[in-house]
Amino acid sequence: MLLKNNYHQYVVNVIAINVILAVGLNIVKGFAGQVTVGHIALAAIGAYTSAVVSTKLGLPFWAALPTAMLVTGLAGAIVGIPSFRLEGAYLALATLGLAESVRIVISGTESLGGAIGYENIPPPFIGSMALDAHRSYYYVVMPLALLGIYFSFSILSSDIGRAFKALREDQLAAAASGVNVRKYKIIAFVLSALYAGCAGSLKAHMAPGFLNPNDYTITEMVTLLLMVVFGGIGHIWGGVIGAVLVTIINDLTQDYYQYRMAIFGSVIVLTVMFMPRGIGGMIDHHLVRRRFKAIREAKSRAT
Amino acid sequence: MLLEVKNLTKRFGGLTAVSNIDLAVKPGAVHGIIGPNGSGKSTLFNLISGVYKPEPGASIVFDGDDITDWEPHEIARHGVARTFQLLRIFSGMSVLENLLIGHHGLIRYNTASAVIGSRNVWAEERRVREEMMELLAFIGLADYADMPAGELSGGQRRLLALGRAMAMRPKLLLLDEPAASLSPVNVEIVLDTVLALKKRFGLTLIIIEHILKVVMETCETVSVLEHGEKIAEGSPAAIKEDHRVIEAYLGKEMEDSEVRALLRSA
Ligand SMILES: Nc1ncnc2c1ncn2[C@@H]1O[C@H](COP(=O)(O)OP(=O)(O)O)[C@@H](O)[C@H]1O
Ligand SMILES: [Mg+2]
Repeated sequence: MLLKNNYHQYVVNVIAINVILAVGLNIVKGFAGQVTVGHIALAAIGAYTSAVVSTKLGLPFWAALPTAMLVTGLAGAIVGIPSFRLEGAYLALATLGLAESVRIVISGTESLGGAIGYENIPPPFIGSMALDAHRSYYYVVMPLALLGIYFSFSILSSDIGRAFKALREDQLAAAASGVNVRKYKIIAFVLSALYAGCAGSLKAHMAPGFLNPNDYTITEMVTLLLMVVFGGIGHIWGGVIGAVLVTIINDLTQDYYQYRMAIFGSVIVLTVMFMPRGIGGMIDHHLVRRRFKAIREAKSRAT
Repeated sequence: MLLEVKNLTKRFGGLTAVSNIDLAVKPGAVHGIIGPNGSGKSTLFNLISGVYKPEPGASIVFDGDDITDWEPHEIARHGVARTFQLLRIFSGMSVLENLLIGHHGLIRYNTASAVIGSRNVWAEERRVREEMMELLAFIGLADYADMPAGELSGGQRRLLALGRAMAMRPKLLLLDEPAASLSPVNVEIVLDTVLALKKRFGLTLIIIEHILKVVMETCETVSVLEHGEKIAEGSPAAIKEDHRVIEAYLGKEMEDSEVRALLRSA
């Protein structure tokens, strides 16, 4: 690693965790078109499950991580159920309700540290070596982020990804084409929840091993949405581009924390208005459209 | 009978959009459905394809199975494909992807192997892409495979909607006004494609069509709807002479002889 500065290493790890979160959100929101605001709550469920499993049950990180993902996956299926009947803003409201209630329950549960937070979550160990520095944690976070990106590429370029896009485009036409709409909605919610669970667990075990319910508010959800929208909603690279850029911007503007919601909110609105497919979409536009133009021109010359 | 519909009724609030309709279609037939705007033609298709559920007492039997209570995707996978009056192609997806979604029910790999990106997924993808490219070539859209479907022209969109339905390898194809609002040249292209597909794949067709000429030339049997009811059924020649059809279609203001002349010229 070139980054010697401990703080920079911390930021890189946060970027990697956010990449996992955003790639997961892009599956359900960007590809399957389900407007969910519950993703941040799923990350909280993953984080706290991992914390509890490692501290109260004394299991190592390597067991806590898959357990957290499993629990979050199940929670994701539950978050997905309202999508059978609700769409758009209504679905957003329903999932927001679920998300806020998760945070409120955590804040009010003393055994989870309540509003003060959950402390002393152990770092991962390899043998007797603790990966408790940001520098060493990098070697846990980065492979998982890369693996997450790889899996998302496989899913989204397969028939599963196409079925997701068909849902986003037109559920009725998708059903008439033989797509089991409910099944694929649940698959999208569960897959994205597995990502949230993984990211949540990674956050929990990262130094200083501390969780606070305030890290899972609507502000964090808006930041997450910004990553996906800005990076390119429904673009295979969207989550990655967005997570990297937004995390860096987030870090550079720390001193203006109080304005962040307003700034991020406006950037989302502006992006949706003027760059609806985000940065990923713009890149495609320039690279790919040129080819279609060429086809068109060749055709019109021929006729 | 490939399709046997009995006692089909659908109400929207106080409006009876489809009323007590029976319909029987033989394998290999081309069955026409005509009727004025709002007579329940599209609703009939929505009922057969499971988009709407009929009122109790109805039965829809397809290929020996009672599909009345099936979900739309189950009906589709069982061999009933349809197009929509407003097409509903996936404009944000490529032309080839539209066909691949049509072929979704016939793609053989599971979610787990797709997630890990296993070898058989790639092999299967290659196979179905080749197959769908062949179908694209058949409907004349092969050059546009990678283009977003939303950028196609009106006539090309109709062909794509047709292609997506055919990608399901259906036994029965329901076409909702496949030639509406097209230029005469494009009407010819779409109809020729429909008939070529029928011949190639041994399809059974039910066609809703506004352009009488199309129906009269291509269909063996025609059912006429008015206010949700089937008011006549028979060969195109017999339908042309039916006075109830003439009234339904052109109103009572015209002289009978005028109407007859109009229908004959169709
Ligand atoms: N989803 C719906 N809700 C309420 N009314 C509907 C709905 N679908 C169709 N209708 C009504 O049912 C009648 C038949 O419509 P439709 O089947 O589309 O006619 P057609 O296709 O013959 O023009 C019309 O009066 C229409 O307004
Ligand atoms: Mg209609």
